[in-house]
Amino acid sequence: MTTSLADHLRSLPDESLAALLQLRPDLVVPVPADVSALAIRAQSRVSVARALDGLDQFTLQILDAARLTRNPDDATTATDTVLAMATSGPQPPAPTAVRAAVGRLRALFLLYGPEHALQVVPAVDEVAPYPAGLGRPAAELDPRTAALCADPAKLRRTVLAAPPSARAILDRLAAGPPVGSVPPGALQAPPLGAADPVLSDPTNGGAPTGSPVRWLVDNRLLVPVTTGSSTASGTVELPREVGLLLRRDSGPLGALRTSPPPVSAAPREPKAVDSAGAGQSMEVVRHTEGLLEQLADEPAPVLRSGGIGVRDLRRLARAGGLDEPTTALLLEVAYAAGLLGELEMPGTTTGRYGADQQVLPTGGYEVWRAASLAQRWEQLARAWLTMTRQVGLVGRRDDRDRPITALSAEAERASVPATRRAVLGVLADLEPATAPTPDEVQDLLDWRAPRRSRGRDAAHREVLAEAAQLGVTGLGALTSYGRLLLGDLTSTDERGDDPLGVHADVESGDPSGAARALDALLPAPVDHFLVQADLTVVVPGPPEPALAVELEAMTELESAGGASVHRVTTASVRRALDSGYTADDLHDVFRRRSRTPVPQGLTYLIDDVARKHGGLRVGLAGAYLRSDDETLISEVLADRRLESLALRRLAPTVLCTQYQVGRLLGALRDAGYAPVQEDGTGSTMLARPRIRRAPPRVSVTTRTVDPLAAPKLPMPRLLGVVEHIRRGDAAARAARRAPAVVRGGAPGLGGGPVPAHTHSEALAVLQQAVRDKALVWVGYVDAHGATASRLLKPVSIGAGYLRAEDERTEMLHTFALHRITAAVVAD
Amino acid sequence: MSGGPLIVQSDKTLLLEIDHPDAQACRMAIAPFAELERSPEHVHTYRLTPLGLWNARAAGHDAEGVVDSLLKYSRYPVPHALLVDVADTMDRYGRLQLANDPAYGLVLRALDRLVLIEVAKSKKLAGMLGDKIDDDTIRVHPSERGRLKQALLKLGWPAEDLAGYVDGEAHPIELADAGKDGRKPWTLRSYQREAVEAFWAGGSGVVVLPCGAGKTLVGAAAMAEAKATTLILVTNTVAGRQWKRELIARTSLTEEEIGEYSGERKEIRPVTIATYQVLTSRRGGAFTHLDLFGARDWGLVVYDEVHLLPAPIFRFTADLQARRRLGLTATLVREDGREGDVFSLIGPKRYDAPWKDIESQGWIAPAECTEVRVTLTDAERMSYATAEAEERYRMAATARTKLPVVKALVDRHPDDQVLVIGAYIDQLHQLGEYLDAPIIQGSTTNKERERLFDAFRSGSLRTLVISKVGNFSIDLPEAAVAIQVSGTFGSRQEEAQRLGRVLRPKADGRQAHFYTVVSRDTIDTEYAAHRQRFLAEQGYAYTIVDADDVLGPKLPTVD
Repeated sequence: MTTSLADHLRSLPDESLAALLQLRPDLVVPVPADVSALAIRAQSRVSVARALDGLDQFTLQILDAARLTRNPDDATTATDTVLAMATSGPQPPAPTAVRAAVGRLRALFLLYGPEHALQVVPAVDEVAPYPAGLGRPAAELDPRTAALCADPAKLRRTVLAAPPSARAILDRLAAGPPVGSVPPGALQAPPLGAADPVLSDPTNGGAPTGSPVRWLVDNRLLVPVTTGSSTASGTVELPREVGLLLRRDSGPLGALRTSPPPVSAAPREPKAVDSAGAGQSMEVVRHTEGLLEQLADEPAPVLRSGGIGVRDLRRLARAGGLDEPTTALLLEVAYAAGLLGELEMPGTTTGRYGADQQVLPTGGYEVWRAASLAQRWEQLARAWLTMTRQVGLVGRRDDRDRPITALSAEAERASVPATRRAVLGVLADLEPATAPTPDEVQDLLDWRAPRRSRGRDAAHREVLAEAAQLGVTGLGALTSYGRLLLGDLTSTDERGDDPLGVHADVESGDPSGAARALDALLPAPVDHFLVQADLTVVVPGPPEPALAVELEAMTELESAGGASVHRVTTASVRRALDSGYTADDLHDVFRRRSRTPVPQGLTYLIDDVARKHGGLRVGLAGAYLRSDDETLISEVLADRRLESLALRRLAPTVLCTQYQVGRLLGALRDAGYAPVQEDGTGSTMLARPRIRRAPPRVSVTTRTVDPLAAPKLPMPRLLGVVEHIRRGDAAARAARRAPAVVRGGAPGLGGGPVPAHTHSEALAVLQQAVRDKALVWVGYVDAHGATASRLLKPVSIGAGYLRAEDERTEMLHTFALHRITAAVVAD
Repeated sequence: MSGGPLIVQSDKTLLLEIDHPDAQACRMAIAPFAELERSPEHVHTYRLTPLGLWNARAAGHDAEGVVDSLLKYSRYPVPHALLVDVADTMDRYGRLQLANDPAYGLVLRALDRLVLIEVAKSKKLAGMLGDKIDDDTIRVHPSERGRLKQALLKLGWPAEDLAGYVDGEAHPIELADAGKDGRKPWTLRSYQREAVEAFWAGGSGVVVLPCGAGKTLVGAAAMAEAKATTLILVTNTVAGRQWKRELIARTSLTEEEIGEYSGERKEIRPVTIATYQVLTSRRGGAFTHLDLFGARDWGLVVYDEVHLLPAPIFRFTADLQARRRLGLTATLVREDGREGDVFSLIGPKRYDAPWKDIESQGWIAPAECTEVRVTLTDAERMSYATAEAEERYRMAATARTKLPVVKALVDRHPDDQVLVIGAYIDQLHQLGEYLDAPIIQGSTTNKERERLFDAFRSGSLRTLVISKVGNFSIDLPEAAVAIQVSGTFGSRQEEAQRLGRVLRPKADGRQAHFYTVVSRDTIDTEYAAHRQRFLAEQGYAYTIVDADDVLGPKLPTVD
């Protein structure tokens, strides 16, 4: 069988072979040596399973049909037979759809051979043991059951006679899979033929399935099977014939659906979807920034087992006004985006080296913060799409019942990016702004790739929830910019033929299409605010960076979101004064920025706070200068360069000026003094706090390739691979196929001298071959006496030399005729 | 970008830019479900609360409509999570219903059985629920109706009250808007009519209107709507008599139909006006006058100044759930934070109007609020600095330095009638002597009060010094200037009520002036700032001046 697939592959034109490799890229990792190796790999369990994983439900069902219709003698089937079976159900699919599915299967070489004698790759049976959820034929299971099945009327009578509980079991097994396990002991029936009322068996305990199962076994509708280790609890199998009988209403393959299940919900207003998503995006960016700021203020220690502790997570959640799962998600995303990192901080908790890792923002955070809102979101969303972290696991317990913490290794799942893309791909394939319910998404995934989506319901729902939380979707539908982002990522994968990165824009400064689309939805930054009599300051949009800095300095945030509400309080004004603003600065900011008249109460408040600010001395002095050194004070006072400051001596050790502190400091420094500014308490004021940052980390977004997905290969490379395989194949053939007469005739190998007639025969063969342009195997003794056999295409013979083209190297060689030991026409 | 007037914030506040052309339409759209929190001059703040959303559900608005209005008027994208939250919250309303069962009386019925099971297990409801009738129905004692609703609200599963109201004993009451006894014809103002309609449609609830905006008329109109015997609860006897005067003038009711139930008189008539004080007075530990609630089959209970409702009345209000209840107030801020109880027992806020809107319509006088800061003398500062913490406010508030400032302020308005309001009796006596003005305080008899108020109303008395008794419900239409010298710490509603004394529209459209005299750099300033918050949020911009500016021309400054 193996050779026949190999032969089949060998006979294909290069393009078809390349097409196969493109469909099943895992076959070329690593590049197989020759076609036989390729064929073996194509029939391997792993590769076949991979190929099956990517198939939709309908194609799989057609494959099942092909398997069921195999001729028992030579295990072949035909397209028409498959078609007949597929259309035998109550709602037959269009024959073209069936043919297309067969075509797909053939393209994948899960089916191969000519139309009338299709063969199924045997590994399919190993990967999916029960075709269409049907059991083995009765003949393979049990002769008595086979006998029953051979009599359709009796079989039908027996099935109809089954008690309701037994019938329920039959129906369940008929829907597939056709095997079920039963509690131990349930099958240890009293001897056959003994009076055995179904429901009154005392040995059965309370086992609910015991009695009906035994009824079924006794009546030969189920066959007990022993499969390796599972003998302890019995396993029963439903024979194929019984299963087909039970399925007579729905057709042998069950319900066939050629197209994905429809989505019930009407598309929403695309604007509303985008609006809800964009609103959420703003939230995400804002909350992430809040969390990172929080971590900058108070880094979270890394646990010895990795990740950050539950208590720190809770603290961050509380500070950000979020719930813990959301906090965990944002932390993971920020980490994946390279905004968070670990820094060694020895001595914070223990003295041990390497024990005091802390999580805090990286240098990349500063860059991120400087980007536009949309770009910041995009970086987060990209990180989310590509990160191999299943955040839903955070807060649950692992196998050893230990809690899984955020950023710990336990939440690492390599398959998540593929899951995310599969789920979002479903949304992206729908009409824009269609919002399917999670169940419908699950149905769609089940149809698209049933083998992949089986049992992953929870993971899919998690992806949907996270997408909504991150603003990739809005109102349950994919947003327009989310679609762009997704398309962008997919095309990056397919852009394999861009080795120089000509088209790469991920790392370049220009915003991507997604960021631009989102940008258009987000409010534009504003540079003004409205001041009101209750001392609130309303910024009707996201503030410009400069405005944000001013507001942060002199107000307290009351409400954030699209706009922000700040309140000016005594404390906030004082804070502004502390950080270097003067009362005049504050007045100026409010006058300049406010679109509405500044209320008198605010002006008074600032003056009042400024009046009290900075100590008990209230006067006209803008700044003072003091020193314990009286002489120094006198020197400054007498310094002519400082005349413009109009310094006045208040006390032997104190000078003052009407100018503001900044000017006094500057002038003193210019004049070569070393003044230090002090606040009301006499302690020096730190101008700028030291900011700690972890070393930069590389964002996962730079990893554009999904670690699990096989590399996508461009056509030129594929053809290169095909050529490589071909050449390997030729070499192998050369090694294997050289006829014995060519190999064995070598004189150095113990054989006698070359008989003359053999030599002349060889010459004749060669002459004939020159005429026929045929390939010949040539035995040859080289200059060192070693023998070799080559597959040659003779070109000419003359002057004692043979000129021929070597099949392997495709080069013209010249051979001395007397050294040729044998020649045989290659077949 | 739609450029709408509304900005939806992630903390569930809604900012409405009122200069926007669509602002009015937007306000109409969001008013049913969002609560007006602040209404300063440029941007009004509304808040989405579960209570507000549930009230909207009760009034027949659905989540889809709420989300639509938010999206329609929002200037910026609305966060998806917020929309989901709104829908979820509204979905919780009405899973349980309070209904009248023909066989079992009042029952709690579940449309969602799991909710009923969850609720029935709750400790907070212990003793409120009766026997289980079937899986979906539990019997409730009628007297527990209010408490049960309150508790369910706290559990987050508000019940839809379908049990309805009793009509009470019918009594004909009409609004005498054609004029009565030779008075001029009048009509209800538009906002008064809206308030009454909103109240009547909702069945029970609270109407919030600024002082001087005619809350009594809202009460009268509600009575005319109910046409049933009415119990009116007021803060004090003087206020009760004002109600009586107003009702006689504005409705078809006659003197004989209105009874006064106070410390002095105990009359029970079709319309009875009772004071909170008499209802909560105890003898031997028992409330002796609470029988009044059961004395007649009242069809309507009106709570005047509902923000002052004393705790015992709360308890009895819980028993009155089958009767229509109307709460009236200007300032629904309780310093004890029991606004929620008012809402759940009397009913949700049915109507609210920003003060400045009513002012701009001319129904209340425009007012100028000024804070005058007095610098204490050195001696006063020293004694303040060394005083005990609990004495500090009194020391700062009653500083003698305030007296000349008050006098200067009174002299500034020689043609206006001036109220001087304070909290400390000693200080008021000092002021009385200093200004040569009569004093009304708690110990002043009702008769003397009436006499002084009448003299003030007629204009023969120009300046009046009043204590805390003047905080509420005294109708002095011509008072145009109020000077506040001390108060009950940082009480916001007291400040608003005091301002309310001068807000009656003046005959000649004069402006009202409201002065607060505070001591600089003391706790007095801090309390003043807190007190002003409510009014500042209503858009009253306080101007702060120094006492020196009041006392005389500005001194020449010397460098």
